[in-house]
Amino acid sequence: MNTMLSLLLKSMRSRIIPTSLVTISLMASMVLLLSIERIQQGAEKGFNQSISGVDAIIGPRASSLELVLYTVFHLGRPTNNITTKTINDVKLRSDISWLVPIALGDSHRGYRVIATEPNYFKHIRYGNNQPLAFSQGAPFSDFSEATIGSDVAKKLNYTVGSEIQVTHGSIESIGSKHDDFSFKVTGVLNKTGTPIDQAIFLDLKGYELLHLGWKSGKKVFSLNDINFSSLPPDALNPKTVTAAFVGLKSKLTIFNFSKNIREYPEEAISAVIPGIALSELWSIVGLVDKGFQLLSWIIIAISLIAMVTLIIASLDNRKQEMTIYRANGASPKFLAAMVIYESLIIGLMAIIGAIILVTIVTYFATTQLNLALGISPSFEWISIDEIKVFSIILLSGALSSLIPATMVFRKNIHQTLS
Amino acid sequence: MLHTLGLEYCYDNGKKIVFPEIGVQRGQRLLISGFSGCGKTTLLSLIAGALKLQTGDIKFDSYDYSSMSSLLLDRLRADHIGYIFQTLNLIPFLSVSENIALGIRFSQARKSRINNLNQEINRLVAALGLDKEVLNTPVNRLSVGQQQRVAVARALLGKPDLILADEPTSALDSDTTKKFLNEVMEAFDSSKQAIVMVSHDASIAPYFDSVIDLNEHYA
Repeated sequence: MNTMLSLLLKSMRSRIIPTSLVTISLMASMVLLLSIERIQQGAEKGFNQSISGVDAIIGPRASSLELVLYTVFHLGRPTNNITTKTINDVKLRSDISWLVPIALGDSHRGYRVIATEPNYFKHIRYGNNQPLAFSQGAPFSDFSEATIGSDVAKKLNYTVGSEIQVTHGSIESIGSKHDDFSFKVTGVLNKTGTPIDQAIFLDLKGYELLHLGWKSGKKVFSLNDINFSSLPPDALNPKTVTAAFVGLKSKLTIFNFSKNIREYPEEAISAVIPGIALSELWSIVGLVDKGFQLLSWIIIAISLIAMVTLIIASLDNRKQEMTIYRANGASPKFLAAMVIYESLIIGLMAIIGAIILVTIVTYFATTQLNLALGISPSFEWISIDEIKVFSIILLSGALSSLIPATMVFRKNIHQTLS
Repeated sequence: MLHTLGLEYCYDNGKKIVFPEIGVQRGQRLLISGFSGCGKTTLLSLIAGALKLQTGDIKFDSYDYSSMSSLLLDRLRADHIGYIFQTLNLIPFLSVSENIALGIRFSQARKSRINNLNQEINRLVAALGLDKEVLNTPVNRLSVGQQQRVAVARALLGKPDLILADEPTSALDSDTTKKFLNEVMEAFDSSKQAIVMVSHDASIAPYFDSVIDLNEHYA
């Protein structure tokens, strides 16, 4: 055994260039697989933490996926609204700790506008229950003020004090602009890695004001003709909203709560639990990652084939070496085992290299990944699942080296002795 | 010690060779001569247990080749036979001492006959007229004569009973050949070992106790 290992290591050292190239290609494919796996885990975690601190989302009766898509991801548009009366009724429930209504529909240069109340920034959290924080300024406190997400500020170069006008609907087109009223940015949120970064927050009252002169999606009169001080005090109270985020006093009452909401007699509304809806959504979105995973397995298979090809190709050059072992009494078993051990050593080196590389990368890149993609692959050495993956790779490496091993085993020593 | 009986070998291409009966005693130096292609190497491979017997039998001390598995024959070769090739005897990525030590790597029996490996290697190297410096020289820098001597040192290490040499002098000039054979015959222990060499070069016959000419056998 010792004899074999020392001979094998010396033999491999004499073929260092092809051997290390194959080791590197195997290692690179494993780094790919590991990275994809870790990024996928990070992405799934990040995705499921797109919103946090919210126990339920109330909206017009629709599929839970739809509701999550437009309330959390600001994608698509609601088909119905719910009335403020309904919201006020729900607010009266004793199991509710807080409720934040939102109204969607407008946008600003492609970024969605979310009209809400200032306490949105107090209750809505992201990631691992992290509160929203401001890199500049503070939440809006007046109907003419706006708060923007970090991506909006960065991409459009806005800071506190910038003036913005919003567009009716999500596409800018002539006549759809609320060009008769401007909002002043009072705060810029920190980067969260969630859709909040790409949102503009207005006060519901401001949002209501914008639509005073609108009927059925068309502007009937301009706000320029209105004297704000002459408006009745409740004129800016919204009549409808799109949805509401709810925090409960006790999470245990969530199922009872959503059942009651569904049975609310005066309007067709429903409540979804964001965690459940998000993981449902991930099962669709996550398919892409499954594809990548499959791809990296294919690459590993290719690398293993390359390894076996190398070993087979080297056998011809090692004829002399093998013959001398045999002439000195080594059995064919010894030579076959040597070939299998060689593949195990290559596999093991590649695995160790891959672990070191991925560990270093995740250690240093976690912050960057977090900032860039909102993904935080947790720093870890190696997980049980990864050990399983490595065992599979090692095993298949050893199994595929049985091909050259058999070739060596079957080789008639006489062919080489002469 | 070694006895072959009615050996015949048929190649894949249908060519068939009938070998003469060969007997070797301890201390005996036997030369098998003949043209190339007359089956010298095949005969040596059969004796080494590297080639499966087809017809006939070989007896080596108490061993009977026809009843032995190839694994047992490998064992026999490791323990009792030292083999020298025509050329390319050495493994390029091993040092000269490591190449010599290969002779006992696969045999517990040969290992047990050596107390101090380095000392024994030095002794053999000196007996074969090699400079001690050779031990530290990369294998590919050795001359063919030096390489063949290193191969002999390996074959002799651990005192195997039988040394088989396949045209070891074919790549050497006649002066080197003489010197080489002198040293080999000196180094081998005639009280315990026997040597069987095949060569097409009949001029080396004086170094041997007996000569079998395969060509004559056919004639």
